[in-house]
Amino acid sequence: MMQKKTHISITILTSLALFAMAGLYLYLLAGDIKLLRDIKWLDVVAEGGTTILALFWLVLLLRSRPAGRVTLLLALGLSCFVFSWWMDFVDEFIKIPDGVFWDNWLESMPIPVGLALLTLGIFHWHKEELAISAQMVKRERVFREHRLFDALIPLGGADYLREQVKLALKDARISQQPLSLVVIDINDFNGINQRFGQPEGDQVLQSITQLLLLNLRGQDLLCRLAGDRFVAVLSNTNPHDAEVIALELQQAIANLAYKTTKQGLRIHLSASTAVTVGIDEEANSLIKRLNMQLGLNKKHLTTAHV
Amino acid sequence: MRQRLNYTHPANYFERDTSFIAAHHQPAIMLDLAMLRDVDSHLLLRGTQLFLDDMLTGNKLISPAQFLTLLSNSQKLLKGDDISFLFGQQILPGFNGPASQVFNHALNLRQALIHLCEYHTLLLPICTPRYFESDTHFFIYWLDNCGAGASQSKSQSSGLHTFLIEAHMTAVARMAAKMSQQNLPWRFNFTHEEPRYVEQYWVHLNEDISFNQQLNMMSIPLEYANQTWSQTAQVSLQLATLGSKMQLNDLGWQASFLDTLHDYLMQNIQQNLQLETVATSFNVSSATLKRKLLKHHTHFQEQLDLARKHVALYLYQIKGYQHHDVADYLRFNDINNFRRAFKRWTGLPPGQLLQANCF
Repeated sequence: MMQKKTHISITILTSLALFAMAGLYLYLLAGDIKLLRDIKWLDVVAEGGTTILALFWLVLLLRSRPAGRVTLLLALGLSCFVFSWWMDFVDEFIKIPDGVFWDNWLESMPIPVGLALLTLGIFHWHKEELAISAQMVKRERVFREHRLFDALIPLGGADYLREQVKLALKDARISQQPLSLVVIDINDFNGINQRFGQPEGDQVLQSITQLLLLNLRGQDLLCRLAGDRFVAVLSNTNPHDAEVIALELQQAIANLAYKTTKQGLRIHLSASTAVTVGIDEEANSLIKRLNMQLGLNKKHLTTAHV
Repeated sequence: MRQRLNYTHPANYFERDTSFIAAHHQPAIMLDLAMLRDVDSHLLLRGTQLFLDDMLTGNKLISPAQFLTLLSNSQKLLKGDDISFLFGQQILPGFNGPASQVFNHALNLRQALIHLCEYHTLLLPICTPRYFESDTHFFIYWLDNCGAGASQSKSQSSGLHTFLIEAHMTAVARMAAKMSQQNLPWRFNFTHEEPRYVEQYWVHLNEDISFNQQLNMMSIPLEYANQTWSQTAQVSLQLATLGSKMQLNDLGWQASFLDTLHDYLMQNIQQNLQLETVATSFNVSSATLKRKLLKHHTHFQEQLDLARKHVALYLYQIKGYQHHDVADYLRFNDINNFRRAFKRWTGLPPGQLLQANCF
């Protein structure tokens, strides 16, 4: 995947460079270099600047996107722009005799072609985004903010949760529907980190993320609060239904037969949960109440065991 | 408060720029954490005058100042509110041979914590744990021993100090949970304000936390501190304790300069403490003492006030003294003078603080 991506980038950038050189060569063959006083420096700066910017877009695109049809279309479209603006820039330094007609073609023709390619690329990009958004359901809602996403686990973090709970509380007030939050905390997760190492612990968290997502409904939202603690935001859900969902999540985790990546050892997992219902209050205090409830539930758990 | 570090040999303290921390112990843990997150090692070590190769030799010793710079860089470069907690999780029992092995052989949590306080120069060199006990609880509080809380600009330094406190409390709580094989009902007090990322405290410590308190302190009921640990081995424990003593002697440094001064001030709190007399006791000139204090980003009056505050809090909360008893003990002739001074040390007048019941 990685290799294919670099392969395409190199091909496109090399061909673009070759075309640019060929254009320059043609101009040099046909025309004469302008005298210094004939050069319009404002045009040089403006046209050179647009060329550099377009090249920058192209490089960003090639670096960030995986190889594929959409990337290819967008890259070819942008390449046409770069080429056209480059020829425009070269034009400032070389005087082409009036009899030559093809210089105008070289400067203008790539633009409509590039526009067509770009349009087609953006259209497919749009379809691709829809497909990806379908996969992101239950992980994000209303707004995307990549800076609030957790680096390790593909879920929103605590800051994203706070924003989302704020919105959900507002919705709940307007629609007069109950809003429930469920917190899920893995029991003795530190023990797993100690026994199998932190990378294995990260793997466990990623697996649990997938499992929890599978067990939630389409309208629910899952975030990672911190460490091994997750929070699900359940809109239009009364506390009774939320308790049922919490129990289902707990059972799903208990029934997950997780195997370590190295030795394939089974790790037995279990989780504690707590449920709260949002009433007229701040997002922060609701999240706090949820966690205090979890603390109480866990205390009961330990005393029950002792 | 109980004094453990005997003030006997004034030259026996390390300073901010004394190189004695093994780079391949705690600093290496921080480096690993950062490099797992793709942070450039050059940026991490910026301002430490260290190179990655130095850190990898396995025998490089660095100073508290260098270590603090490394931590401060990491805090800035690593995105994530859990770095201090992840770091703290890994620093105890540590790699200090016998001093670390004692934790495996200790009779109970109380013994392990007392060991931690006695050998903190080996185990937790840049933040000092102290303990005391009431009839019901065992308390551990933390002292900034190298001026981490005051370096550079005010906002940055308080961030670094918070980082240290988070890491060290996590270290102790994690070690205790592991050795007792259960979640313990710690209470945590912090001097700083509730941070934006309070959920990290819930997850990595527990929900029983208070902010804006007088001390950075954690406490546990005595019945938990005295609960027998299963893996007790009497002979191994004695050998490991003996080994720890030899290790500390070999190291040559008992405690930090600020700790040593703090102990001296606490022990002599009923005397008339002046910079000049203290300097004489430390066998240095007044100018040298001033210079050393400045190096640790503090001054004499600040240290004296800190010692008086700690004594006053102890007398109120543990000994149950009344206002005039505390004022008498601290040699204040006038109760109003005492109230004013107390408010300067703690931000609250004595009566209000008692109501808040900071322990």
